[in-house]
Amino acid sequence: MFKESSPAKDPDSPESETRPEFNPSSTDTTATTNPSTVQTAIDSDSLEATTFESASSEVTSAAADLPPERFNSLDELTHDLGSLHELSTRGSWQAILEKIAQARALFLLTKPHEHLTYLTYQVMALVKLRLSDEAVHELNSLHDFDGTHYRYESFPEIYPNRKGSMVPFSLRWLYALIPTKLGNRQEGLDRLYVLLDFVRDRIRDKESQNLDDSVELWKKRETFVMSCLLGFHLGHKEFGVSLDLIKELINRDPLDPVLISKLGSVQMQFGDIEGAKATFDRVEKMLNEGKSNGLLDETQFKNLVGRNKALVYVVAKDYVSAVKVYDECIERDNSDAIAVNNKALCLMYLRDLSDAIKVMENALERVPTAALNESLVVNLCSMYELAYVNHTDVKRTLNNWIARVAPDDFDSSSTRV
Amino acid sequence: MSATQTQTQGPHSLAFRVMRLCKPSFHVDPPLRIDPFDLLAGEDFSDDPSSASLFRRHVSSADSLDSDLSYRNRFLLNHPTDPIGLSGLLLLPQSFGAIYLGETFCSYISVNNSSTSEVRDVTIKAEIQTERQRILLLDTSKSPVESIRTAGRYDFIVEHDVKELGAHTLVCSALYNDADGERKYLPQFFKFVVANPLSVRTKVRVVKETTFLEACIENHTKANLFMDQVDFEPAKQWTAVRLQNEDCHSTEDPSASALIPKSPVIIRSGGGIHNYLYKLNPSADVFGPTKFQGSNILGKFQITWRTNLGEPGRLQTQQILGAPVSRKEINMRVVEVPAVIHLNRPFLAYLNLTNQTDRQLGPFEVSLSQDESQMEKPVGINGLQALMLPQIEAFGSNDFQLNLIASKLGVQKIAGITALDTREKKTYELVPEMEIFVESD
Repeated sequence: MFKESSPAKDPDSPESETRPEFNPSSTDTTATTNPSTVQTAIDSDSLEATTFESASSEVTSAAADLPPERFNSLDELTHDLGSLHELSTRGSWQAILEKIAQARALFLLTKPHEHLTYLTYQVMALVKLRLSDEAVHELNSLHDFDGTHYRYESFPEIYPNRKGSMVPFSLRWLYALIPTKLGNRQEGLDRLYVLLDFVRDRIRDKESQNLDDSVELWKKRETFVMSCLLGFHLGHKEFGVSLDLIKELINRDPLDPVLISKLGSVQMQFGDIEGAKATFDRVEKMLNEGKSNGLLDETQFKNLVGRNKALVYVVAKDYVSAVKVYDECIERDNSDAIAVNNKALCLMYLRDLSDAIKVMENALERVPTAALNESLVVNLCSMYELAYVNHTDVKRTLNNWIARVAPDDFDSSSTRV
Repeated sequence: MSATQTQTQGPHSLAFRVMRLCKPSFHVDPPLRIDPFDLLAGEDFSDDPSSASLFRRHVSSADSLDSDLSYRNRFLLNHPTDPIGLSGLLLLPQSFGAIYLGETFCSYISVNNSSTSEVRDVTIKAEIQTERQRILLLDTSKSPVESIRTAGRYDFIVEHDVKELGAHTLVCSALYNDADGERKYLPQFFKFVVANPLSVRTKVRVVKETTFLEACIENHTKANLFMDQVDFEPAKQWTAVRLQNEDCHSTEDPSASALIPKSPVIIRSGGGIHNYLYKLNPSADVFGPTKFQGSNILGKFQITWRTNLGEPGRLQTQQILGAPVSRKEINMRVVEVPAVIHLNRPFLAYLNLTNQTDRQLGPFEVSLSQDESQMEKPVGINGLQALMLPQIEAFGSNDFQLNLIASKLGVQKIAGITALDTREKKTYELVPEMEIFVESD
């Protein structure tokens, strides 16, 4: 059994009395002196890990150079991680906050990376629940991301053979994002651009060490940060910068139909209809020629092309044709919430407010987890306000249904009740 | 959503609900979605490839348990470009917004019966009222709506091209029989103001034979305007060519450039500007007197802009005027000067004297006018200071040469040359003053 050191509240001086041999007596001693210590079950392989120098990046043969400790489930990696992950996919952010508070109160987290993971979940939950000022408070308790506190090699007895930063990338990203949530857009943008530089440095780093898996992951992070920046510039109608960014992204992956369709949407957004049409035609050509980067299955690809086509009809005010195309999309995939929403809008522009409302309500009933999003709700409420003189009642009914079904982070102000 | 509304009679069974239907917009909303690798482990965790593959396995097995109430689409990245926040979801206009001259006003109008009984024989009218006129958009008096049941609705959509500035009122009225058989009249008024979207400032500059027209378009709206078309339509006597920089796309990203072939012209909201330059030449097929008798109208601009989702606006400017054309009896102008003019070296200038009247005038004496300042003019006549020209018949003209010399470097004007009608004792100035460029030896 690998004996755990004292809870790592003070990363500067990990008081490690590490012995690779199993020593039942010392275990008991530890138990009495510090009852809250948790023992981590590790594979017997790791007993040999400490006898090797940590040149962990070379995996020549399984016997000669062992990897860092194996973990057989998410929970083995970090305390209760599987449960946290499940709660996050259900949108149960309040439950996550409670879980974190409990874990801390009972000193259930022992390793430094566990604290970081939990902190990241906490910040994420607070931002999701629109409590960003509390999130800032938590972030302030952190040390410098790039210091020794958060590196695996600072704790060789806990993380034998593992090197690098234990900071979850999402934490860096949240740190960059938070100023924008508090209204300080310029600071947020600056931090995101700094983050982009950081990511690009890491890519060069990993490439020089031939760490292929990591290179791929960091390149994904590069696309991620660039997409974030693009979203911010677009939201502020800064089309020059946006077009530059999207050009760069397309250069990286010229066969991404979703990305190219987004270029078309941007062109439509600032009014260049002819340009948008040409771009959408390109995507349709990619579908017909079977050219893509493989991220979409056939139905998704066909629906993407369909929705693009429908947009062109909407712009030309040919709402009848748009509805036809959206119907095809919905038949292929009835959880295509974008097609449903846009079809309803087209019906409204065709003077058929009643059917528009029906389409929206049906979708919420049939496929709530796909259809329930704030924008769809805003649209539905606008339709209610137009259709009913006394719209408060019908909106309240909607509000109550949402309260039962929606995840914690749903912004209920979208019903304007 | 509706603007102010007023009712004149007692409790009405009907009520108008109005919503402006400009084009919907894309909702740009960067979501909070992540890649699980970025949250569940440290950022360098995958430096070790076995950790990376183990991790992938555990995460995908966790994800395969698809619960009923899964909102993973609100948290886990679906596609790497999700953070852009441009899902393609359209949003209805959330407020009336601003409306500008040249745009199209479009509105959804719904007549609701909020009473507990049916209303019958409903005649609905919708008009736009401005300071100057009343425009009928809809009138069902020829075929009135037979009935609107309780909690029922009658909907219609109206459109109107906005061609006037200032206050507009959308007047919706319904004439109906209520439950008691009483004929009631319900007018409702929705006011809005139309503002000017653009201003076009022009500058005209004449260099030798060519007239240059510079136009500066300023955007006064709250939106960024995509300039779809800015066309200058010259008057009959002119031809116009637009002068612009060839877009220099270097060898970078050929694939992406193919998608966005040229930088779009987008003028920023609230005061952004863009300049256009045109070269105007007199049309080949217009001769003689017409050129001088005609007006100095250069032409006008036709402008089409687009905003969100291609919502168009169209305007044309008033006629743009060029340099004032002399309507004098005698017109004297410089026709040609050498391409290169050196300091202190005489050069030959070709001039033309035209008689724009219907009677014979002259003979003329052409000389440099002597003004009070006695300062040496930068361009003077070389040699004999006066030149005699014979009479010119009605509507005729006379080409002649003057030997000139420039005594100062740089851009100088040929000015102060006058023609004196020796019989009528009238003096005519050289118009327009011609600019030349004087180089050193």
